[in-house]
Amino acid sequence: MEVLIGLVINGLATGMLIFLLAAGLTLIFGLMDVLNFAHGGLFVWGAYTGVFTYLWSNSFLVGIIVAILTGLVLGFVTEKLIITPVYGNHVQQILITLGFMLVLQEMIKVVFGPNGVPVTVPKYLSGSWQIGDLTIIKYRIFIIAVGFALFGLLYFILNRTKIGLVVRAGVMNREMTQALGINIKRVFLIVFMCGAALASLGGMLMAPYTTVVYAEMGMEYAILGFIVVVIGGMGSFQGSLMAAILVGLAGSFMAYYVPSLSVAVNMILMAIVLIFRPQGLFKVAKG
Amino acid sequence: MSNILTLERVETYISQYHILQGINFEAKAGEVSVLLGRNGAGKTTTLRTIMGLSPASKGTIIFDEKNISKMTPYDIANCGIGYVPEDQGIFGQLTVEENMKVAIRKETDSVMQKQAYILELFPDLKKFWKKAGGNLSGGQKQMLAMARAFVNDSKLLLIDEPSKGLAPIVIEKVMEAITEMKKHTSIVLVEQNFMMASKIGDTFTLIDDGRTVQSGEMQSLIEDEQLKRKYLGIG
Amino acid sequence: MIKQPSLLSRSNIVYTVIVGVLIVLPFVLDSRTMTILLTQFCIFAILAMSYDILLGYTGIISFGHAMFFGIGAYTTAIMLSDFGPTVGIFAASIVVGIVLSAIISVISGALTLRLKSHFYAMFTLAISGLFLVLAEKWRTVTKGNDGFTFRAPELFRERLYFYFLVLICLVIVFILLKRIVASPFGKVLIAIRENEQRTRSLGYKTLGYKIIASVIAGVVASLAGSLYVISLRFVNTSVLTMDITLDALMMTIIGGVGTLIGPIIGAGVIEFAQHYLSGLARDYPIFERWIIFFGILYILAVIFFPRGIVGTISSSYNGWKLKKGQKKTVKLIEKEEIQQ
Repeated sequence: MEVLIGLVINGLATGMLIFLLAAGLTLIFGLMDVLNFAHGGLFVWGAYTGVFTYLWSNSFLVGIIVAILTGLVLGFVTEKLIITPVYGNHVQQILITLGFMLVLQEMIKVVFGPNGVPVTVPKYLSGSWQIGDLTIIKYRIFIIAVGFALFGLLYFILNRTKIGLVVRAGVMNREMTQALGINIKRVFLIVFMCGAALASLGGMLMAPYTTVVYAEMGMEYAILGFIVVVIGGMGSFQGSLMAAILVGLAGSFMAYYVPSLSVAVNMILMAIVLIFRPQGLFKVAKG
Repeated sequence: MSNILTLERVETYISQYHILQGINFEAKAGEVSVLLGRNGAGKTTTLRTIMGLSPASKGTIIFDEKNISKMTPYDIANCGIGYVPEDQGIFGQLTVEENMKVAIRKETDSVMQKQAYILELFPDLKKFWKKAGGNLSGGQKQMLAMARAFVNDSKLLLIDEPSKGLAPIVIEKVMEAITEMKKHTSIVLVEQNFMMASKIGDTFTLIDDGRTVQSGEMQSLIEDEQLKRKYLGIG
Repeated sequence: MIKQPSLLSRSNIVYTVIVGVLIVLPFVLDSRTMTILLTQFCIFAILAMSYDILLGYTGIISFGHAMFFGIGAYTTAIMLSDFGPTVGIFAASIVVGIVLSAIISVISGALTLRLKSHFYAMFTLAISGLFLVLAEKWRTVTKGNDGFTFRAPELFRERLYFYFLVLICLVIVFILLKRIVASPFGKVLIAIRENEQRTRSLGYKTLGYKIIASVIAGVVASLAGSLYVISLRFVNTSVLTMDITLDALMMTIIGGVGTLIGPIIGAGVIEFAQHYLSGLARDYPIFERWIIFFGILYILAVIFFPRGIVGTISSSYNGWKLKKGQKKTVKLIEKEEIQQ
């Protein structure tokens, strides 16, 4: 029983971290119909800038803020330079963002050095609670809480505010939203920046969890993020959350019971979903 | 009365095609000005150029004493021009209510009053308030599109072929609505249906091959059999 | 357009000259490093051409092209080390690799090529990821990430002989693919790239065409993989990584999509630039990160020169020619040849 609860908590925590990454992707893909393969690059830049300021200032919070700022700035640059020329063309989007991903990843090595950087959990989040035989690591609970909070916030913004409406309208008919007096370019830029900031935040929160940051982590986790977006039904927030939790749980259970399969399980999951339900497992009708 | 909108020698390219080659056009405040001409004459492009969606390369567009020819579509909209495109541009997956919400810039009292007023005019919209815009009938979509354009205290409405694809009885309703809205705003109308255009239009401007051919009072066109036959293929 | 230009057309002369230069080059340079580099270039040119069939001609993005390269590589390496280093076994291993690749591309194509482009991209990413995991875990056969060395057939231990074999493969593959894309079949592929829905409404079963295109691409990539491991006499899981796919992608884009000759030039540019840039890295460490330069070059190519080196040159050349008023039909046919 303790093992089971432990595995569930691990799975949920990993799932939430992937959700943060996938949330940005969902926002950018689901709403703006842009496939951003550079997302992992934004993730890893958030992780590095956040971790470096965290180690330098000794404040985890400052690290998080810097990571979010990095995401916003990089999101701005990416949207202006990379995405604007290729709106509406999926093939071009995939090609160009993939190239940008490589550049971002290599730039990490130039700026921060090619070696990984070890990270520890801040004191007030480190340690664990002991309940009977069960050990609950505090940082994981923290991540789960942050994940759910962000999901709630995003859900609220998209479904209950005018901004969410405008974004959805803009995706359906860009020109008409402009003719109704909305600067849709700016709206999309802001959405993109928010998506990038989510990725960077995810990278920063991931760092103490994996205990080390390295340049290639962007690509690795971006693939997980994409798997989640595909399983969740490309563009549905609820779907992404469910899929992220599913992927997290599958990973944690597999790692315990069938370790040799654990790396492959997500790929298999996505392949199956793509074959049998390409619209995603949790796709709900857009209302 | 003074001009609410003036186009002077406006030219527009769409990619390399020279679509508008010299449009002169005036719309007086409080009137319904109708743009007439054959298919492909450049009527829709003229409206799109006014809106900034297909920006003019030459000429000036003066709206309400402001030169709007170099402005972005959203700035032009915010100056007080409402636009109803040919395909109505309804956000299909949003409900009628949400379509209106996107359109409303600021929920001031006067805007909310206007929304109430327009819903009186189009009771169908009230009836299907929570229905997705994509599931409305053609006539209802037209009404929703007009409501969206009208609601923000617009000083001018650009309406592109409202009768297109509608049943005669629905066209009657749309005409009534336009006549009603005319009390509050000026209207520029593109219309192929001459019966409708002649009934609700005050003035006409006839364009052909991207140029203004003639303009004047609607009554004079109704009487000019030769002009009608030459450019509109009727009479 | 289906009509082949005469044997003495301008482009055929250019091709012959290029092949001539490639034959003479190892003798002129006369260095082992250069011969190896030229061999690598030819192998990656084959791989990039196979990628061009997908991306350039059919408009399909695959993230799993390394899978086919890896299948060829492992088949050849395993068969040579298990059954002995003879030319016969090598030839057999190429055939086996090709058959395996064909089967896998038919299956994965039939499953997901009916979906939108990005779904196929994700699916190939997943499948090739699975192959990578498989290769890493199935250590009894692959020795995982450590890989294993094996003996190449006696004949190919002479670097020069092997280079000529690879060069011959390059020429044959180029001619075959050129025939394929110029055939009615190739025209349908281009039609699919331009507008799949319309092609379907014209009565073509586009899925079948796309699957055949992916089989052709997979088979050629497998051949490239087989040749690649012979040049290294070593194989490990790196042949299955995303890097291989990215290499093929960059070579195709930078050289010019949908031209076949473009990917060859792209392969040349990248292989040689990589060689010299890593040489420079000894003095200027920034060049260790040569990927950045290619990445930027690649991004610029996607935005500003979507038709790559070859497409850009040939269209400006043709534009200049048209200005001079030399509009001969033969040349127009040629132009279409190049621009496809």
